[in-house]
Amino acid sequence: MATDITLLWASGSHACWRVMIALEEKNLQGYNQKQLYFEKGEHKSKEVLEINPRGQLPAFKCGDLPLNESCAACFHLECKYKSQGTKLIPDCEEGRALILQRVFEVNALAEKSSSVLYYNWRVPEGERHDSAVKRNKEALTAELKLWEGYLQASSGFIVGKNFSLADVIVYPAVAYLFQNGLSEQRYPKLAEYYKGLMNRPSIKASWPPTWKNAPKQETLKDI
Amino acid sequence: MAKDMTLLWVTGSPPCWRVMIALEEKNLQGYNQKLLSFDKMEHKSQQVLDINPRGQIPTFKHGDNVINESYAACFYLESQFKSQGTKLIPDGPAEQALMYQRMFEGLTLYEKLSAVVFYEWSVPEGERHESALKRNKEALVTELKLWEGYLQKLGSGSYLAGPSFTLADVVVFPTVGMVFRFGLSPERYPKLGEYHNLLKERPSVKASWPPHWLENPKGQDTLKDI
Repeated sequence: MATDITLLWASGSHACWRVMIALEEKNLQGYNQKQLYFEKGEHKSKEVLEINPRGQLPAFKCGDLPLNESCAACFHLECKYKSQGTKLIPDCEEGRALILQRVFEVNALAEKSSSVLYYNWRVPEGERHDSAVKRNKEALTAELKLWEGYLQASSGFIVGKNFSLADVIVYPAVAYLFQNGLSEQRYPKLAEYYKGLMNRPSIKASWPPTWKNAPKQETLKDI
Repeated sequence: MAKDMTLLWVTGSPPCWRVMIALEEKNLQGYNQKLLSFDKMEHKSQQVLDINPRGQIPTFKHGDNVINESYAACFYLESQFKSQGTKLIPDGPAEQALMYQRMFEGLTLYEKLSAVVFYEWSVPEGERHESALKRNKEALVTELKLWEGYLQKLGSGSYLAGPSFTLADVVVFPTVGMVFRFGLSPERYPKLGEYHNLLKERPSVKASWPPHWLENPKGQDTLKDI
């Protein structure tokens, strides 16, 4: 039941966004939710720590069961609500294998994006090196080329002809890149994917509110 | 079946080890496998690149299905072979949810371990800082204490998600194995030590124990003081 579900989230966090897309896709609108703000340190508040001792968002509970890792929450929701909403993991062998593969490859994409976007936040001033910044950008470029390749023959989804768990997990990471200025000319297939799903009801309903009126950042425009 | 499967792997790699444990648990012994050498850069060889354009191991194929992410391969094996071998995803909702939660936290544990034990491998010499390594060690200690707490709460003899061995143990144990290989003190982390002793006797774990760890039982002592 949606009313047994609680989500504490922050706008623009792609981990939170994945869970919100999954909830929409499984027709679980009406879940208890509260938007929190990293800038105010609310991710370390008591109400978060009670659900997620790591003090991270999303903080998510399904009944009494905490599922703070976004992929864990998505897998659990698909399993528990298999028979309602969109089927996010198909029964057929081949589709399932590739969906699982892409779901876990997102770690590499997210990690490489973060190394570029959050370099100054993660690395104290005395430890920063231009060589590291350069290497991180090259790694992200190589990673993006791989995903551009995966989307060459795409019907609008990451895998196959239907929206799947792979899209739930991947779309926020891709949207984040464009929000940070990734070039649509240089990555046309990623851009097509990004725009193609923008108006999907689950994605529209959960679009980060802080992005709606904010100007796009330019950090990734030269990647 | 197992004959349609191929695994390319290196010894001592937790991602490879996860898949090997899963294959053993699902009674899929007899799969085609090839031990490669990291030192000889065989993970970047053509035979790997043909299956995994990322040039990373493990690479795993079942018929035409290629799955190179170790977690994906483990999930795949459990769903394809649900009715044989050990049931790796429990039915009970609480245990299942805890299993998923710990599986994905296991990625964080591996990341924090790698940031310490592979520091010199992943950071070029001119960019290394004592302050960074110190910070990485502190982060690893915080993480290990969390897991020590998780095991404490479940009680002796328990697996990561409760009374049964699950996918959480398949994917996280190899990291725990590596943590002790690199010298973590079982006196300082008794619950993790107990968990390690419990799992290392399990047939699937014994059968897939890294061969070079058997040849050289004494590991490293990178983590002995943390």
